[in-house]
Amino acid sequence: MTPVSRRRTALQILLLSVGFVVLVAISVASVLLVNQAREDNAWVVHTVEVESQLANLLLEVRRAESATRAYLLTSAPQYLAEYQTAAAGIPAALEHLAKITADNPTQVNNGAKLRAAVEKRLAEYALGVERVKNNDVATGVDLLRNATSTDAVEAIARISSDMRAEEDRLFAMRTATADRTQVLASSVTIAGSCMVLALAGFSIVLVRRSSRARDDAEARLRDVNVTLEATVDERTADLREANEEIQRFAYIVSHDLRSPLVNIMGFTSELEELRSDIFKRIATLGRNASLQPTLPDANDAVEPELDEGDKQLSNDFDESLGFIKSSIAKMDRLISAILNLTREGRREFKPERIDVRELIDGIVKTVAHQAAESSTTIKLGALPNLVSDRLALEQIFSNLIDNALKYLKDGVPGEISVAGRTKLGFAIFEVTDNGRGIDPKDHQRIFDLFRRAGTQDKPGQGIGLAHVRALVRRLGGTMSLASELHNGSTFTITLPIKWTGRNRDRES
Amino acid sequence: MSNPVTIIMVEDDEGHARLIERNIRRSGVNNEIIPFMNGTAAVNYLFGKDGTGVERKGDALLILLDLNLPDMTGIDILKRVKENKYLKSTPVVVLTTTDDSQEIKRCYELGCNVYITKPVNYESFANAIRQLGLFFSVIQVPPASA
Repeated sequence: MTPVSRRRTALQILLLSVGFVVLVAISVASVLLVNQAREDNAWVVHTVEVESQLANLLLEVRRAESATRAYLLTSAPQYLAEYQTAAAGIPAALEHLAKITADNPTQVNNGAKLRAAVEKRLAEYALGVERVKNNDVATGVDLLRNATSTDAVEAIARISSDMRAEEDRLFAMRTATADRTQVLASSVTIAGSCMVLALAGFSIVLVRRSSRARDDAEARLRDVNVTLEATVDERTADLREANEEIQRFAYIVSHDLRSPLVNIMGFTSELEELRSDIFKRIATLGRNASLQPTLPDANDAVEPELDEGDKQLSNDFDESLGFIKSSIAKMDRLISAILNLTREGRREFKPERIDVRELIDGIVKTVAHQAAESSTTIKLGALPNLVSDRLALEQIFSNLIDNALKYLKDGVPGEISVAGRTKLGFAIFEVTDNGRGIDPKDHQRIFDLFRRAGTQDKPGQGIGLAHVRALVRRLGGTMSLASELHNGSTFTITLPIKWTGRNRDRES
Repeated sequence: MSNPVTIIMVEDDEGHARLIERNIRRSGVNNEIIPFMNGTAAVNYLFGKDGTGVERKGDALLILLDLNLPDMTGIDILKRVKENKYLKSTPVVVLTTTDDSQEIKRCYELGCNVYITKPVNYESFANAIRQLGLFFSVIQVPPASA
């Protein structure tokens, strides 16, 4: 799932960057191509301008010519003026033409030739006009008539047509270039746009797919959550059932174990009775065999004397019976303990408001005598109140305080303190003593049923702490221990401040 | 009171039965003891073939009852005895290993006359049985009423 989505994200980023790069490339290409097109167009315009300038020049030459002719015919001064204007404009036009064709060597060459021809022609006009002014009209007309067939006119016509042809060639070439540039520009734009569109489409497909995948995942998550809740409920029910089963099992087993125990104890006592009868009889028989018969009533009053071998037998008999009886007593205590635990486990807990200080004060009073004997002081710190089961709480604290009193260090006055605080809806109680402490390797073990730790010099079944922990758990709390050998112990109990009877365990 | 009291002992554990019998004899009670090892046999004897208990009408009985029986619970027998018009005045002594207070309460509610827990401590067990012997000699088992 994760590598797929990571790959998808990477692909999307890649697509975006590719799209961006394409866009930039298109923009750059467009700008370049548009510039190119503008340049190309400028060249086209330039060609047209050259042609028009050429036409202009020829027109001026014609105008000068026609004015000259008119003047020759009429000698009217208005034609003279017209000739002068035209003639004056021609050098400027020539100049301009030369300037705008400076880029092209062919045209520069043609321009120079044209200029020579035109200037020659102008000189002829000037000469003709000069003759007319001197009233030599006939010479002037002759001059011009001859001149018409001269090289100058021909040259002008040839050169100008050459120039026009050159410009036409340039025009065709430049138009083609401009067209090509434009086609290129538009095709680049179109191709780029298509690419961007394709990328966008691909991105949309990807986004759609990933959002669908996300929707699917969400739906699956919802399903899983629902199933999880159901599973948790189911497991909790299973656990409860298993727990009840264990409780019932423990109860039945301990009960059924008791029955044979009654027999063992009963018949052991019967054996004991028999034993005294048997040894009395042995003693009597022995004495009867060796000595004179004793008085019959003496049998009942005192234990008859036995000889060495019989005494040994009698002692062995007693020892064996003693072991059997003490073992039975121990087994009975264990069975009773299990019975009490299961009974406690089946007891209904009632949540109620409890003044913890009052409760612990009560416990301290009941152990006051023991405390005084070992010169122990019991200090109570701040104690938050709880809603919990009173009896269970009493058993928890009295077990812990009893233990603290029981396992003090010899010769050291005991100091026991009970203090509490609240944190996040839980009350944390600490029962601390300066007693003999518990080796860290035994920290787990002491909470197990019938297990004890340290020097075994005090009576006990190894039930107290197992019981306390079971109670704490049923009250929805936890329990821990901090201690090391010879340095006292601190038992920490965390209980919910408001126990509703539903934490961890069922209500009933 | 011409009829001597017969003791009906419903006890599945042979050893317990023997111990109870011995201790009763030791306390000087010599009445006949009829032992039953299971609930069905006891019920058959007490209520007869027709299940009405008419066969036992007029018999002076005392029932020693264990609660944990292989085929039924002693509570059922106690209930039936106390509901039967011929047997309801018969004294019933419940003798069992259960010391659960709920159980004891229930037995007394159903009409049991004495409840004795079988202790593992033999002395107290023997003592309880001997007390029972005394109890037998003191109680008046009423002649069966109609």
